[in-house]
Amino acid sequence: MPVFKAPFNGYSVKFSPFYESRLAVATAQNFGILGNGKIHVLELSPGPPGVTESVSFDTADAVYDVSWSESHDSVLVAAVGDGSVKIYDTALPPPSNPIRSFQEHAREVHSVDYNPTRRDSFLTASWDDTVKLWAMDRPASIRTFKEHAYCVYQAVWNPKHGDVFASASGDCTLRIWDVREPGSTMIIPGHDFEILSCDWNKYDDCVLATSSVDKTIKVWDVRSYRAPLAVLNGHGYAVRKVKFSPHRRSLIASCSYDMSVCLWDYMVEDALVGRYDHHTEFAVGIDMSVLVEGLMASTGWDELVYVWQQGMDPRAS
Amino acid sequence: MATPSDFPPSPPDDKSPIPEVVTTPSPTPPTTEAQQASIAQETPKQQDSPPSVFKNSEPLREDQIQNAIKFLSHPRVRGSPVIHRRSFLERKGLTKEEIDEAFRRVPDPSPSSQPTVSTQDGQKAVSNVQPQGQVQAMQPAPVVMVPPPSLLSRFRWYHAALAVGVLAASGAGTAVFVKKSLIPRIKSWVRRIMLEEETDPLKKADAKPSLAEEAVAAAKAASAAASDVARVSQELMITKSEERKYFEDLTRLLGVQVQEMKSLSNNIRNLEGNYNNLPKVYSADQEVYGGGLVKTSAERRSYANGSNIDYDTRSARSASPPPAPPADSSMPPHPKSYMDIMSMIQRGEKPSNIREINDMPPNPNQQLSNPRIAPKTKPWDYGQAPQEENANGPWWQPKNPRSMDFGYETTASRSIGIQNETNTMEPAALPRQRSWVPPQPPPVVMAEAAEAIRRPKPQAKIDQEAAASDDQSGVSDELQKITKFSETGGDGSGNLQITEIQEEREQQQFSQEGN
Repeated sequence: MPVFKAPFNGYSVKFSPFYESRLAVATAQNFGILGNGKIHVLELSPGPPGVTESVSFDTADAVYDVSWSESHDSVLVAAVGDGSVKIYDTALPPPSNPIRSFQEHAREVHSVDYNPTRRDSFLTASWDDTVKLWAMDRPASIRTFKEHAYCVYQAVWNPKHGDVFASASGDCTLRIWDVREPGSTMIIPGHDFEILSCDWNKYDDCVLATSSVDKTIKVWDVRSYRAPLAVLNGHGYAVRKVKFSPHRRSLIASCSYDMSVCLWDYMVEDALVGRYDHHTEFAVGIDMSVLVEGLMASTGWDELVYVWQQGMDPRAS
Repeated sequence: MATPSDFPPSPPDDKSPIPEVVTTPSPTPPTTEAQQASIAQETPKQQDSPPSVFKNSEPLREDQIQNAIKFLSHPRVRGSPVIHRRSFLERKGLTKEEIDEAFRRVPDPSPSSQPTVSTQDGQKAVSNVQPQGQVQAMQPAPVVMVPPPSLLSRFRWYHAALAVGVLAASGAGTAVFVKKSLIPRIKSWVRRIMLEEETDPLKKADAKPSLAEEAVAAAKAASAAASDVARVSQELMITKSEERKYFEDLTRLLGVQVQEMKSLSNNIRNLEGNYNNLPKVYSADQEVYGGGLVKTSAERRSYANGSNIDYDTRSARSASPPPAPPADSSMPPHPKSYMDIMSMIQRGEKPSNIREINDMPPNPNQQLSNPRIAPKTKPWDYGQAPQEENANGPWWQPKNPRSMDFGYETTASRSIGIQNETNTMEPAALPRQRSWVPPQPPPVVMAEAAEAIRRPKPQAKIDQEAAASDDQSGVSDELQKITKFSETGGDGSGNLQITEIQEEREQQQFSQEGN
């Protein structure tokens, strides 16, 4: 299985929705505390070395997240630690990049998510407690959603309803929003500690999962949100990211500060169905390919990016 | 793309708890007719535009509102920022409407903190409301407390001004207080001596000296008070000069760091090669992580608040980076180099490997390049297994999609009607779709008819599912046989089958979850 060694600590990895063999990695120097950042675009190849870097972009500050555009195959959006949101076009030569830089957030931008249904807009979540809605062609944000009382760690679009999204925040709540409404439409006090990540079930548009500092992943149905559908225990430390599989209805992948990547099936009694311990530092980024079933990628503070098929050992050569 | 539902902005008229709302996650662009039809069959109440499932439509709970009013009426709570009060109530599970109602019933002293106002496009309103709310909150508290981490970032300027003001005020206050306490003390002492000397037979003789003594004492007191005032004001000056000294020290250190950067960069490149061999050394120092993070950043802020003004935006990360862990659990062991960098930042040093990078767009009006590929349909949008399944592809493509088992039974053990996966739709039955991207299935026009026809089938289907153990392909063949029978005008194309099977599944699911 291919491994990519980055110069900086990994923060996020995302597969391209257009090319099966392409992925982007967001990295930050000095663990993202203080330093530069770098975005890598990687290509998978059948023969050795398995993964090569096709282009990389340097940033002045840490890059915490990256998201591919759903409308343009070569465009990606980066969430940067100095509060800026930058757009890169890999089809243009590196000196022409970035093509846009939006400076609106007052603090670090922690996540960016492109709308998979409408394909024309994206969301950014920031430590300044706000979520902003943007379009590629507009010079400024379209909406700012300010209700959380603490850092917003992630905002994710609903895969079926192009106007609905969820946000996970350090104020321990998960909020559901509709861009047509002025404020949030639901507030779910999901955990007793900070909620670090959330993701929608791709096959059931009312179900979503949250992961928290309390080491658990909870699966919620918005129709009966007072109690979770499932509580997944198994991680030894805070769960940094959670992701629903694009191919299997009840499969969830998660990565945690316990350095492991776990697979869960929340509809089964014994939910933990897979565990990978390939990282040697905090595992902070994970993604499952939409184009290739079973293909996963993860990255962590050990500066490594692994790409592997479910069921296989990520470190196998 | 048509949006699925239009819902009323206020809670619906019916006071039923959690109405059984149906959303059709079918791949078709949902039409209101389809929704109406399905809702008419699922719930007794009929609505023209069903409320969105993403909205909370429960009625207001009076007991929760009462608890909230009690909480909000507490004097200590009244002094806290509104956003904290809201956040607390949200965490207790109150809905937005309940919180608004509680706020309405309790008179709210700080009028400017309305968080819902700022979700409009006016970001200026956002930034204006924030500092207003915070300055108001700070003013009633005369003592400078360490503010919670969430407000630390906004306090840079205000904190600085406030600290200086408070120092001056405290200096003047101590002077006044000392003066006030010293003089009565001296007066009482003088009075005591006067009394003593009254009993003395040499009273008269001592009258003049006592007067003189009194005058002397008064002069002493005055000079003492003056010296106190002078001392206090001197202390003020000293602290100010100390702050300035820190400032200069920091700038000096930065200059030193910049000079060292060049010489160290080579060393770092060498070290990078050895990085993989570094053993993992965990810091067992739990104090530093978690609570320490918040504390140290607070310290940083309090002394560096004056100096931050002149820093560029790339000064060290402020509080709340890695989330604080729960108090009862152990901290995840951070890499040693992480702790090193954190302590470096605390000392005010900047890591030496940071480069000066200009990452601004060279041409802010650069056009996006034309897309070369059309957007692909998502696997969940047409409810099928993905097209790329040939075994001859590169290593990252699955050789056999069925070998995704992780050693657990999927469909066999569960007799619940909830469908496991679209993968049960064995694509072997439809091999021609491997390289063909199916277009979006057409919307269901006669939904009622289709459902009426399909009504009896879900039962039959569940029995079959339970009966068939691992024979997934057998099940799906059955499915297709049945759907083929039910096709009235259908031409048996793959599209319609999939649509209807998908809708069937959703139907089953709703009938399950509606119970």
